[in-house]
Amino acid sequence: MAPALLLVVSCLPAESQTTSDLLNPLFQGILAQPANFNNALQYATQAPASDIESAISTYEQLLFYNPNLASVRFELGVLYYRLGSYEMARSYFDSALKMKDITPALRQRSEDLIADIDKKLQPDQFSGYVQSGFRYQTNAALGPAAGTVLASGKIFNNTFAARPDGNWFGAFGLNYVHDYEQQNGNTFEASAVGYDAQQFKLHQFDIGVMELRAGPRFGIMSDTVTGLSIKPYFVATGATLADAAYYGGLGGGLTAHIKLGDASLDPYAEIVQQSFRNLTLYPLASGMNGTLSTVGLQASGPVYGSLGFQSRVTYAHADATFNPFGYNAYADDVWLPWNFSPLGDGRTWTLTPTAGVSWWQYNAPDPTINPFTTPDILEWRLGLGLEVPIWKLLYLGMLAQYRADVSNVSAFSMHDFSVTAGPTMRF
Amino acid sequence: MAPSRRFIVALVVAFSSALLAAASAAAQQVGTATAVNPLSESTPPGGATAPLVVGAHIVHKEKVHTTPAGTVQLLFTDKSTMSIAPNTDIVIDEYVYDPNANSGHMLVSLTKGALRFVGGQLSHQGEASITTSAANIGIRGGTVTVVQGPNGVKVINVSGIIKIVNGAGTFLITRSDFGALIQGWNTPIHDLGRIPTADVAFYQAHTTSTFGENGGVPGFKGANIGHCGLGSVPSANCPQVPWMPSDGGQLDASQILGNATNFGAGQITPPPPPPRRNPGR
Repeated sequence: MAPALLLVVSCLPAESQTTSDLLNPLFQGILAQPANFNNALQYATQAPASDIESAISTYEQLLFYNPNLASVRFELGVLYYRLGSYEMARSYFDSALKMKDITPALRQRSEDLIADIDKKLQPDQFSGYVQSGFRYQTNAALGPAAGTVLASGKIFNNTFAARPDGNWFGAFGLNYVHDYEQQNGNTFEASAVGYDAQQFKLHQFDIGVMELRAGPRFGIMSDTVTGLSIKPYFVATGATLADAAYYGGLGGGLTAHIKLGDASLDPYAEIVQQSFRNLTLYPLASGMNGTLSTVGLQASGPVYGSLGFQSRVTYAHADATFNPFGYNAYADDVWLPWNFSPLGDGRTWTLTPTAGVSWWQYNAPDPTINPFTTPDILEWRLGLGLEVPIWKLLYLGMLAQYRADVSNVSAFSMHDFSVTAGPTMRF
Repeated sequence: MAPSRRFIVALVVAFSSALLAAASAAAQQVGTATAVNPLSESTPPGGATAPLVVGAHIVHKEKVHTTPAGTVQLLFTDKSTMSIAPNTDIVIDEYVYDPNANSGHMLVSLTKGALRFVGGQLSHQGEASITTSAANIGIRGGTVTVVQGPNGVKVINVSGIIKIVNGAGTFLITRSDFGALIQGWNTPIHDLGRIPTADVAFYQAHTTSTFGENGGVPGFKGANIGHCGLGSVPSANCPQVPWMPSDGGQLDASQILGNATNFGAGQITPPPPPPRRNPGR
């Protein structure tokens, strides 16, 4: 009896029902008059933001009506891609390419996404970037103004005072994923990031950094939740300063990956043992030796239209051999990549405003700088990046950044404006 | 007077019966045929088999059959759809959906052929199932292709979590594009791993119109659809080759350099070297 009653309820007029889709006249229109394809089209174009499967159903209905349309096939490819079914997405993109009405822009996007899918479907997947170029900074030292007077009445060492300089730099980022092709999605992941800058004049600030991270990722609760995984990892970092070995860090961490619709959350916690080497120009560096513990959250996803976001929020605690060098730090950075195609050829330009703030609270006054005041530094960062596609994987990357440190200890206050430009290859 | 009363009673009874019959028929509608390529047929419970047409109501217990040339798309009231390949037989065994409570369940038998099920409200609650000769296939939150062939039942998970149960055990497909093969009710379920692209494309092509067909609705020539395929501005909802910041190394370097300047360096200007003594004095 109950099922019959429920079925009767399902046939009641829309006004008496509370489920939004049953109140949706477009959905009711499809049920009542499916041949009204303008109604179906309107429903499909409104559905994707909140309901991928409804959009799929409706576009597949339209594909029944006309299987020759590249745009319908492309749209279905996009929707299956968003569902994570890359094989279905690929079959639709492939078939879109075979349609006579495909436009150059749609062909370009289809080919780009097929290339991306082909990478995702490989057991061994590589992605990354290589970049080179020039950078000009108004304050290459990231130091205070020349002539800054310390609490002791002495003058800040001019070798490290604010001075402009340019540099040549090279940078790369490489991500590797090995997919074990198991139901739970277990993978092994590794990434490397490198940066090297050679100053034109101020060689005491020549710096090179390399960081490696690697670890296995385990899909968990895959029988109840999709897209949840955890990854223990190790991290190793090395840096040179003034062309001499300066810093090494070794540690590990644990991160999780959570999918919430189109957004991703990656909380993490890591501990790194830091070791600094005293150099002629940096005789006090070993005082910073100690443990750096960090907890953070990285997130990314769409915002609106073609605007996306990536963000990172962290809290870090650094122990140091010399207690005044230890600190607690809070930091937040946001990137807002906005994709657009001003030439209408399907190739995507990316404009990325960035903003960040950090707050360092040091453990104790530094007797050589100011024996009476515990340093407290608030840093603001603003930037604007632009990537312009040049040819295939090659882009021209440009970045303008402003950074200002405000501190209760004058030696720690500084500001710097930098402009970076150079070719970038993304793969 | 008496004949008149009998007439009124008879009229009331007849009207009530007609009303109940109409309500019952209406209550049993569970969906609509939204696209039909001939020849596809349906058989309502207790009724005769007839060619299926676009807009036809699909009712509880209805059988749907496609010939070697026929394909059909059915839309259910919970928003799920079923795209049915040629040479396929299905029965809507059970369908209950209460939109107010957003609950219910559906059970469809696939006795021959292939179909792709795109989930709606019921599958999001794990309340949609497809039964075959070799296994029962529970669908949670997703989309699945099921093929009942001569060598057994092949299940391809498009998205979501698929629970396969038969006499030999239970098997979960939790990953998109992965599949399983079940050869008989008492045969262990075989993990097929990732399904080859060609197989996925084959079943995708066989669950829609072929070139020259129009699903029973002529005249759809296309339009400015969606926001990914056309126009100059791709949406963030449209997949892009993933963007990653390329300033990671630079940020790390700035952090190290900033600390080096603040703490690693000798911050006080070194005193000038002592003046040389005049050797003559």
